[in-house]
Amino acid sequence: MTALKPWIGLISRLTLGGVLLAAGLLKFQELDKSQMAVRAFELLPVGFANFMGIVLPFAEIGMGILLILGAGTRIMGLAGAVLMLAFSFGISWAWARGLSIDCGCFGGGGPVEPGTANYLPKLLRDLGLAVMGIYLFLFPQSKFALDKFATHETPDQKENKDEQ
Amino acid sequence: MSSKPKPGKDNFTRNLVVGVVVGVVLIMLVPTLLSNKTKTDAAMPTFASAVHGYGITYNAELKDVPVIDIYEDFQCPVCGQFEIAQGDYIESLIADKKATVVYHTLSFLGPESIAAANAAACAADEGKFLDYHKMLYAKQPNENSGAWSNAFLAAAGQAVGITSQKFATCVNEGKFADWVGNVASEGAKKNVNSTPTVFINGKELNRGNDYYDRNLFKAAVERG
Repeated sequence: MTALKPWIGLISRLTLGGVLLAAGLLKFQELDKSQMAVRAFELLPVGFANFMGIVLPFAEIGMGILLILGAGTRIMGLAGAVLMLAFSFGISWAWARGLSIDCGCFGGGGPVEPGTANYLPKLLRDLGLAVMGIYLFLFPQSKFALDKFATHETPDQKENKDEQ
Repeated sequence: MSSKPKPGKDNFTRNLVVGVVVGVVLIMLVPTLLSNKTKTDAAMPTFASAVHGYGITYNAELKDVPVIDIYEDFQCPVCGQFEIAQGDYIESLIADKKATVVYHTLSFLGPESIAAANAAACAADEGKFLDYHKMLYAKQPNENSGAWSNAFLAAAGQAVGITSQKFATCVNEGKFADWVGNVASEGAKKNVNSTPTVFINGKELNRGNDYYDRNLFKAAVERG
Protein backbone atom coordinates (compact mmCIF):
# COMPACT_ATOMS: atom_id res chain seq x y z
CA MET A 1 0.00 0.00 0.00
CA THR A 2 2.77 2.43 0.94
CA ALA A 3 4.44 1.71 -2.36
CA LEU A 4 1.20 2.42 -4.19
CA LYS A 5 0.54 5.75 -2.55
CA PRO A 6 2.79 7.89 -4.75
CA TRP A 7 1.19 6.30 -7.80
CA ILE A 8 -2.32 6.98 -6.51
CA GLY A 9 -1.08 10.51 -5.89
CA LEU A 10 0.16 10.78 -9.47
CA ILE A 11 -3.14 9.54 -10.89
CA SER A 12 -5.06 11.95 -8.65
CA ARG A 13 -2.84 14.85 -9.63
CA LEU A 14 -3.14 14.20 -13.35
CA THR A 15 -6.89 13.56 -13.22
CA LEU A 16 -7.85 16.51 -11.04
CA GLY A 17 -5.25 18.75 -12.69
CA GLY A 18 -6.18 17.66 -16.20
CA VAL A 19 -9.89 18.24 -15.59
CA LEU A 20 -9.23 21.67 -14.09
CA LEU A 21 -6.91 22.71 -16.90
CA ALA A 22 -9.29 21.54 -19.64
CA ALA A 23 -12.31 23.13 -17.96
CA GLY A 24 -10.44 26.38 -17.43
CA LEU A 25 -9.19 26.60 -21.02
CA LEU A 26 -12.64 25.93 -22.47
CA LYS A 27 -14.22 28.60 -20.27
CA PHE A 28 -11.39 31.02 -20.99
CA GLN A 29 -12.36 31.06 -24.66
CA GLU A 30 -15.90 32.21 -23.90
CA LEU A 31 -15.78 34.41 -20.85
CA ASP A 32 -19.21 35.93 -21.57
CA LYS A 33 -20.69 32.45 -21.43
CA SER A 34 -18.69 31.58 -18.36
CA GLN A 35 -20.21 34.58 -16.59
CA MET A 36 -23.63 33.55 -17.83
CA ALA A 37 -23.13 30.01 -16.57
CA VAL A 38 -22.36 31.27 -13.06
CA ARG A 39 -25.33 33.65 -13.11
CA ALA A 40 -27.67 30.86 -14.22
CA PHE A 41 -27.17 29.05 -10.88
CA GLU A 42 -29.02 31.96 -9.24
CA LEU A 43 -26.78 31.43 -6.24
CA LEU A 44 -24.63 34.57 -6.18
CA PRO A 45 -25.53 38.25 -6.57
CA VAL A 46 -25.30 39.17 -10.27
CA GLY A 47 -22.22 41.38 -9.89
CA PHE A 48 -20.30 38.79 -7.91
CA ALA A 49 -21.39 36.00 -10.27
CA ASN A 50 -19.99 37.99 -13.21
CA PHE A 51 -16.72 38.49 -11.33
CA MET A 52 -16.48 34.77 -10.55
CA GLY A 53 -17.27 33.91 -14.16
CA ILE A 54 -14.03 35.62 -15.14
CA VAL A 55 -11.84 34.62 -12.19
CA LEU A 56 -12.83 30.95 -12.19
CA PRO A 57 -11.29 29.94 -15.55
CA PHE A 58 -8.00 31.60 -14.65
CA ALA A 59 -7.92 29.94 -11.24
CA GLU A 60 -8.71 26.57 -12.81
CA ILE A 61 -5.95 26.91 -15.38
CA GLY A 62 -3.39 27.87 -12.71
CA MET A 63 -4.43 25.10 -10.34
CA GLY A 64 -4.52 22.58 -13.18
CA ILE A 65 -0.98 23.37 -14.32
CA LEU A 66 0.43 23.25 -10.78
CA LEU A 67 -1.29 19.92 -10.03
CA ILE A 68 -0.04 18.36 -13.25
CA LEU A 69 3.51 19.49 -12.46
CA GLY A 70 3.16 18.47 -8.84
CA ALA A 71 4.08 21.90 -7.52
CA GLY A 72 2.43 22.79 -4.22
CA THR A 73 0.44 19.57 -4.39
CA ARG A 74 -0.86 19.75 -0.84
CA ILE A 75 -2.36 23.24 -1.09
CA MET A 76 -3.57 22.72 -4.66
CA GLY A 77 -5.21 19.43 -3.66
CA LEU A 78 -7.04 21.21 -0.87
CA ALA A 79 -8.02 24.12 -3.13
CA GLY A 80 -9.18 21.70 -5.83
CA ALA A 81 -11.26 19.76 -3.32
CA VAL A 82 -12.85 22.95 -1.98
CA LEU A 83 -13.65 24.05 -5.53
CA MET A 84 -15.18 20.67 -6.43
CA LEU A 85 -17.26 20.68 -3.25
CA ALA A 86 -18.45 24.18 -4.12
CA PHE A 87 -19.41 22.96 -7.61
CA SER A 88 -21.18 19.96 -6.07
CA PHE A 89 -23.11 22.32 -3.84
CA GLY A 90 -24.04 24.49 -6.84
CA ILE A 91 -25.24 21.50 -8.86
CA SER A 92 -27.23 20.13 -5.89
CA TRP A 93 -28.76 23.57 -5.39
CA ALA A 94 -29.79 23.85 -9.04
CA TRP A 95 -31.16 20.32 -8.93
CA ALA A 96 -33.08 20.86 -5.69
CA ARG A 97 -34.59 24.10 -6.97
CA GLY A 98 -35.60 22.47 -10.22
CA LEU A 99 -33.54 24.83 -12.40
CA SER A 100 -32.96 23.67 -15.95
CA ILE A 101 -29.40 24.75 -16.58
CA ASP A 102 -26.22 23.46 -18.13
CA CYS A 103 -23.59 23.61 -15.39
CA GLY A 104 -21.12 25.18 -17.82
CA CYS A 105 -18.50 22.95 -16.23
CA PHE A 106 -16.54 22.75 -19.48
CA GLY A 107 -17.55 26.03 -21.08
CA GLY A 108 -20.99 26.88 -22.36
CA GLY A 109 -23.71 26.95 -19.75
CA GLY A 110 -26.91 28.78 -19.06
CA PRO A 111 -30.52 27.67 -19.26
CA VAL A 112 -31.44 24.54 -21.21
CA GLU A 113 -34.75 22.99 -22.23
CA PRO A 114 -36.66 21.84 -19.14
CA GLY A 115 -36.05 18.17 -18.45
CA THR A 116 -32.74 17.95 -20.30
CA ALA A 117 -30.52 19.02 -17.41
CA ASN A 118 -28.68 15.92 -16.20
CA TYR A 119 -27.34 16.61 -12.76
CA LEU A 120 -26.49 13.26 -11.17
CA PRO A 121 -23.45 12.26 -13.29
CA LYS A 122 -21.96 15.73 -12.88
CA LEU A 123 -22.51 15.66 -9.16
CA LEU A 124 -20.85 12.24 -8.84
CA ARG A 125 -17.95 13.33 -11.03
CA ASP A 126 -17.28 16.45 -8.97
CA LEU A 127 -17.53 14.53 -5.71
CA GLY A 128 -15.07 11.98 -7.07
CA LEU A 129 -12.66 14.74 -8.00
CA ALA A 130 -13.10 16.26 -4.55
CA VAL A 131 -12.03 12.93 -3.02
CA MET A 132 -8.88 13.02 -5.17
CA GLY A 133 -8.15 16.55 -3.96
CA ILE A 134 -8.58 15.50 -0.34
CA TYR A 135 -6.31 12.52 -0.94
CA LEU A 136 -3.61 14.83 -2.29
CA PHE A 137 -3.99 17.09 0.73
CA LEU A 138 -3.51 14.13 3.07
CA PHE A 139 -0.82 12.33 1.02
CA PRO A 140 0.87 14.93 -1.15
CA GLN A 141 3.89 12.80 -2.05
CA SER A 142 3.56 11.49 -5.55
CA LYS A 143 5.57 10.27 -8.52
CA PHE A 144 7.13 12.70 -11.00
CA ALA A 145 6.35 15.79 -8.93
CA LEU A 146 8.33 18.97 -8.54
CA ASP A 147 7.60 18.93 -4.82
CA LYS A 148 10.46 17.54 -2.77
CA PHE A 149 9.65 16.08 0.60
CA ALA A 150 12.46 15.63 3.05
CA THR A 151 10.76 14.45 6.23
CA HIS A 152 10.61 10.92 5.04
CA GLU A 153 11.88 9.57 1.80
CA THR A 154 9.40 8.01 -0.53
CA PRO A 155 9.94 4.32 -1.12
CA ASP A 156 10.89 5.25 -4.62
CA GLN A 157 13.80 7.40 -3.48
CA LYS A 158 14.97 4.59 -1.24
CA GLU A 159 14.86 2.15 -4.10
CA ASN A 160 16.87 4.51 -6.25
CA LYS A 161 19.51 4.79 -3.57
CA ASP A 162 19.66 1.04 -3.17
CA GLU A 163 20.22 0.68 -6.86
CA GLN A 164 23.01 3.23 -6.80
CA MET B 1 4.80 21.93 2.66
CA SER B 2 6.14 22.91 6.02
CA SER B 3 8.79 20.22 6.00
CA LYS B 4 12.33 21.54 5.82
CA PRO B 5 14.10 20.64 2.63
CA LYS B 6 17.33 18.69 2.94
CA PRO B 7 20.47 20.15 1.43
CA GLY B 8 20.44 19.39 -2.27
CA LYS B 9 16.76 18.56 -2.07
CA ASP B 10 15.54 22.12 -1.88
CA ASN B 11 12.37 23.22 -3.52
CA PHE B 12 13.87 26.01 -5.61
CA THR B 13 12.49 24.71 -8.91
CA ARG B 14 9.09 24.07 -7.38
CA ASN B 15 8.93 27.55 -5.89
CA LEU B 16 10.05 29.11 -9.15
CA VAL B 17 7.36 27.23 -11.07
CA VAL B 18 4.66 28.18 -8.56
CA GLY B 19 5.78 31.80 -8.76
CA VAL B 20 5.78 31.86 -12.55
CA VAL B 21 2.38 30.15 -12.90
CA VAL B 22 0.70 32.34 -10.28
CA GLY B 23 2.36 35.43 -11.77
CA VAL B 24 1.29 34.69 -15.34
CA VAL B 25 -2.28 33.90 -14.28
CA LEU B 26 -2.52 37.19 -12.39
CA ILE B 27 -0.93 39.16 -15.24
CA MET B 28 -3.58 37.78 -17.58
CA LEU B 29 -6.48 37.98 -15.14
CA VAL B 30 -6.18 41.60 -14.07
CA PRO B 31 -6.40 43.18 -17.56
CA THR B 32 -9.27 40.82 -18.42
CA LEU B 33 -11.19 41.97 -15.36
CA LEU B 34 -10.49 45.60 -16.21
CA SER B 35 -11.36 45.25 -19.89
CA ASN B 36 -14.71 43.75 -18.93
CA LYS B 37 -15.72 47.01 -17.29
CA THR B 38 -17.92 49.35 -19.28
CA LYS B 39 -15.79 51.67 -21.39
CA THR B 40 -17.49 55.04 -21.18
CA ASP B 41 -15.24 56.45 -23.89
CA ALA B 42 -16.17 53.79 -26.49
CA ALA B 43 -17.27 55.05 -29.91
CA MET B 44 -21.08 54.88 -29.98
CA PRO B 45 -23.18 54.25 -33.06
CA THR B 46 -26.19 56.43 -33.87
CA PHE B 47 -29.21 55.65 -31.68
CA ALA B 48 -27.12 53.82 -29.09
CA SER B 49 -28.11 55.00 -25.64
CA ALA B 50 -26.01 54.60 -22.52
CA VAL B 51 -29.09 54.95 -20.30
CA HIS B 52 -30.68 52.03 -22.16
CA GLY B 53 -27.73 49.71 -21.53
CA TYR B 54 -25.94 50.93 -24.69
CA GLY B 55 -28.63 49.35 -26.86
CA ILE B 56 -29.70 50.77 -30.23
CA THR B 57 -32.76 52.71 -29.11
CA TYR B 58 -35.72 53.84 -31.18
CA ASN B 59 -38.29 56.36 -29.94
CA ALA B 60 -36.26 57.09 -26.84
CA GLU B 61 -38.03 60.45 -26.56
CA LEU B 62 -41.55 59.02 -26.24
CA LYS B 63 -43.31 59.05 -22.89
CA ASP B 64 -46.20 56.82 -21.77
CA VAL B 65 -45.39 54.04 -24.23
CA PRO B 66 -44.08 50.59 -23.35
CA VAL B 67 -40.29 50.12 -23.37
CA ILE B 68 -39.31 46.89 -25.11
CA ASP B 69 -35.76 45.70 -24.45
CA ILE B 70 -34.66 42.94 -26.81
CA TYR B 71 -31.47 41.02 -25.96
CA GLU B 72 -30.38 38.99 -28.94
CA ASP B 73 -27.36 37.49 -30.63
CA PHE B 74 -27.27 37.60 -34.43
CA GLN B 75 -25.98 34.02 -34.50
CA CYS B 76 -28.64 32.57 -32.22
CA PRO B 77 -31.10 30.48 -34.25
CA VAL B 78 -33.93 31.05 -31.78
CA CYS B 79 -33.39 34.81 -32.17
CA GLY B 80 -33.93 34.24 -35.88
CA GLN B 81 -37.25 32.54 -35.08
CA PHE B 82 -38.20 35.43 -32.83
CA GLU B 83 -37.38 37.86 -35.64
CA ILE B 84 -39.58 35.90 -38.03
CA ALA B 85 -42.41 35.78 -35.50
CA GLN B 86 -42.33 39.36 -34.20
CA GLY B 87 -39.89 41.38 -36.31
CA ASP B 88 -42.51 43.09 -38.49
CA TYR B 89 -44.73 43.88 -35.54
CA ILE B 90 -41.87 45.43 -33.58
CA GLU B 91 -40.83 47.51 -36.56
CA SER B 92 -44.42 48.72 -36.95
CA LEU B 93 -44.40 49.76 -33.28
CA ILE B 94 -41.27 51.80 -34.00
CA ALA B 95 -42.70 53.35 -37.17
CA ASP B 96 -46.03 54.19 -35.50
CA LYS B 97 -44.27 55.57 -32.42
CA LYS B 98 -46.16 53.17 -30.17
CA ALA B 99 -43.18 51.87 -28.21
CA THR B 100 -39.61 52.60 -27.25
CA VAL B 101 -37.61 49.69 -28.63
CA VAL B 102 -34.05 48.89 -27.53
CA TYR B 103 -31.97 46.33 -29.44
CA HIS B 104 -29.17 44.87 -27.30
CA THR B 105 -26.91 43.00 -29.71
CA LEU B 106 -25.17 40.51 -27.43
CA SER B 107 -22.19 38.54 -28.63
CA PHE B 108 -21.64 35.50 -26.43
CA LEU B 109 -21.81 32.97 -29.25
CA GLY B 110 -18.36 33.90 -30.45
CA PRO B 111 -16.26 36.12 -32.71
CA GLU B 112 -18.76 36.19 -35.57
CA SER B 113 -21.41 37.53 -33.18
CA ILE B 114 -19.07 40.36 -32.29
CA ALA B 115 -18.38 41.06 -35.97
CA ALA B 116 -22.10 41.02 -36.79
CA ALA B 117 -22.99 43.31 -33.87
CA ASN B 118 -20.25 45.72 -34.95
CA ALA B 119 -21.47 45.66 -38.56
CA ALA B 120 -25.06 46.31 -37.44
CA ALA B 121 -23.80 49.31 -35.45
CA CYS B 122 -22.02 50.55 -38.58
CA ALA B 123 -25.35 50.16 -40.41
CA ALA B 124 -27.00 52.25 -37.67
CA ASP B 125 -24.60 55.04 -38.56
CA GLU B 126 -25.94 54.76 -42.12
CA GLY B 127 -29.53 54.93 -40.83
CA LYS B 128 -30.09 51.31 -41.86
CA PHE B 129 -29.91 49.35 -38.62
CA LEU B 130 -33.38 47.80 -38.89
CA ASP B 131 -32.90 46.76 -42.51
CA TYR B 132 -29.48 45.30 -41.82
CA HIS B 133 -30.78 43.57 -38.70
CA LYS B 134 -33.55 41.87 -40.68
CA MET B 135 -31.19 40.94 -43.51
CA LEU B 136 -28.66 39.30 -41.14
CA TYR B 137 -31.35 37.05 -39.67
CA ALA B 138 -32.61 36.19 -43.14
CA LYS B 139 -29.08 35.06 -44.09
CA GLN B 140 -28.18 33.51 -40.74
CA PRO B 141 -25.58 30.74 -41.22
CA ASN B 142 -24.55 28.06 -38.72
CA GLU B 143 -22.79 29.43 -35.65
CA ASN B 144 -19.17 30.41 -36.22
CA SER B 145 -19.01 28.63 -39.55
CA GLY B 146 -16.75 31.36 -40.88
CA ALA B 147 -19.51 32.77 -43.10
CA TRP B 148 -19.72 36.12 -41.32
CA SER B 149 -16.29 37.49 -42.11
CA ASN B 150 -15.84 41.26 -42.09
CA ALA B 151 -15.56 41.14 -45.88
CA PHE B 152 -18.94 39.41 -46.12
CA LEU B 153 -20.58 41.73 -43.59
CA ALA B 154 -19.28 44.79 -45.44
CA ALA B 155 -20.48 43.53 -48.81
CA ALA B 156 -23.83 42.52 -47.29
CA GLY B 157 -24.56 46.20 -46.73
CA GLN B 158 -25.33 46.50 -50.44
CA ALA B 159 -28.34 44.21 -49.98
CA VAL B 160 -29.97 46.96 -47.92
CA GLY B 161 -28.67 49.83 -49.98
CA ILE B 162 -25.51 50.74 -48.09
CA THR B 163 -22.78 51.46 -50.57
CA SER B 164 -20.52 53.90 -48.76
CA GLN B 165 -16.84 53.22 -48.24
CA LYS B 166 -17.25 54.56 -44.71
CA PHE B 167 -19.46 51.58 -43.87
CA ALA B 168 -16.94 49.08 -45.23
CA THR B 169 -14.14 50.73 -43.27
CA CYS B 170 -16.25 50.77 -40.12
CA VAL B 171 -16.98 47.02 -40.48
CA ASN B 172 -13.41 46.08 -41.34
CA GLU B 173 -11.73 47.97 -38.55
CA GLY B 174 -14.27 46.90 -35.93
CA LYS B 175 -14.98 50.51 -35.09
CA PHE B 176 -17.62 49.68 -32.49
CA ALA B 177 -15.91 46.66 -30.88
CA ASP B 178 -15.66 48.42 -27.51
CA TRP B 179 -19.30 49.38 -27.74
CA VAL B 180 -20.20 45.72 -28.44
CA GLY B 181 -18.31 44.88 -25.24
CA ASN B 182 -20.32 47.49 -23.36
CA VAL B 183 -23.61 46.04 -24.58
CA ALA B 184 -22.44 42.61 -23.40
CA SER B 185 -21.38 43.75 -19.94
CA GLU B 186 -24.60 45.74 -19.46
CA GLY B 187 -26.57 42.63 -20.45
CA ALA B 188 -24.58 40.62 -17.91
CA LYS B 189 -25.48 43.19 -15.24
CA LYS B 190 -29.15 42.77 -16.17
CA ASN B 191 -28.79 39.01 -15.56
CA VAL B 192 -29.62 38.10 -19.15
CA ASN B 193 -28.72 34.41 -19.40
CA SER B 194 -30.09 33.42 -22.77
CA THR B 195 -31.17 34.90 -26.07
CA PRO B 196 -33.61 36.10 -27.07
CA THR B 197 -34.65 37.72 -23.82
CA VAL B 198 -37.28 40.43 -23.94
CA PHE B 199 -38.20 42.84 -21.18
CA ILE B 200 -41.37 44.90 -21.45
CA ASN B 201 -41.19 47.89 -19.13
CA GLY B 202 -38.40 46.10 -17.28
CA LYS B 203 -40.42 42.92 -16.74
CA GLU B 204 -39.11 39.75 -18.39
CA LEU B 205 -41.49 38.24 -20.94
CA ASN B 206 -42.79 34.81 -19.94
CA ARG B 207 -40.68 32.04 -21.42
CA GLY B 208 -42.58 29.92 -23.85
CA ASN B 209 -45.21 30.94 -26.32
CA ASP B 210 -45.19 34.65 -25.55
CA TYR B 211 -42.07 34.95 -27.69
CA TYR B 212 -43.36 33.20 -30.77
CA ASP B 213 -47.13 33.73 -30.82
CA ARG B 214 -48.01 37.10 -32.32
CA ASN B 215 -51.22 37.56 -30.32
CA LEU B 216 -49.64 36.64 -27.00
CA PHE B 217 -46.67 38.91 -27.68
CA LYS B 218 -48.94 41.74 -28.73
CA ALA B 219 -51.04 41.28 -25.60
CA ALA B 220 -47.92 41.39 -23.44
CA VAL B 221 -46.78 44.63 -25.11
CA GLU B 222 -50.22 46.22 -24.72
CA ARG B 223 -50.42 45.20 -21.07
CA GLY B 224 -47.14 47.06 -20.69
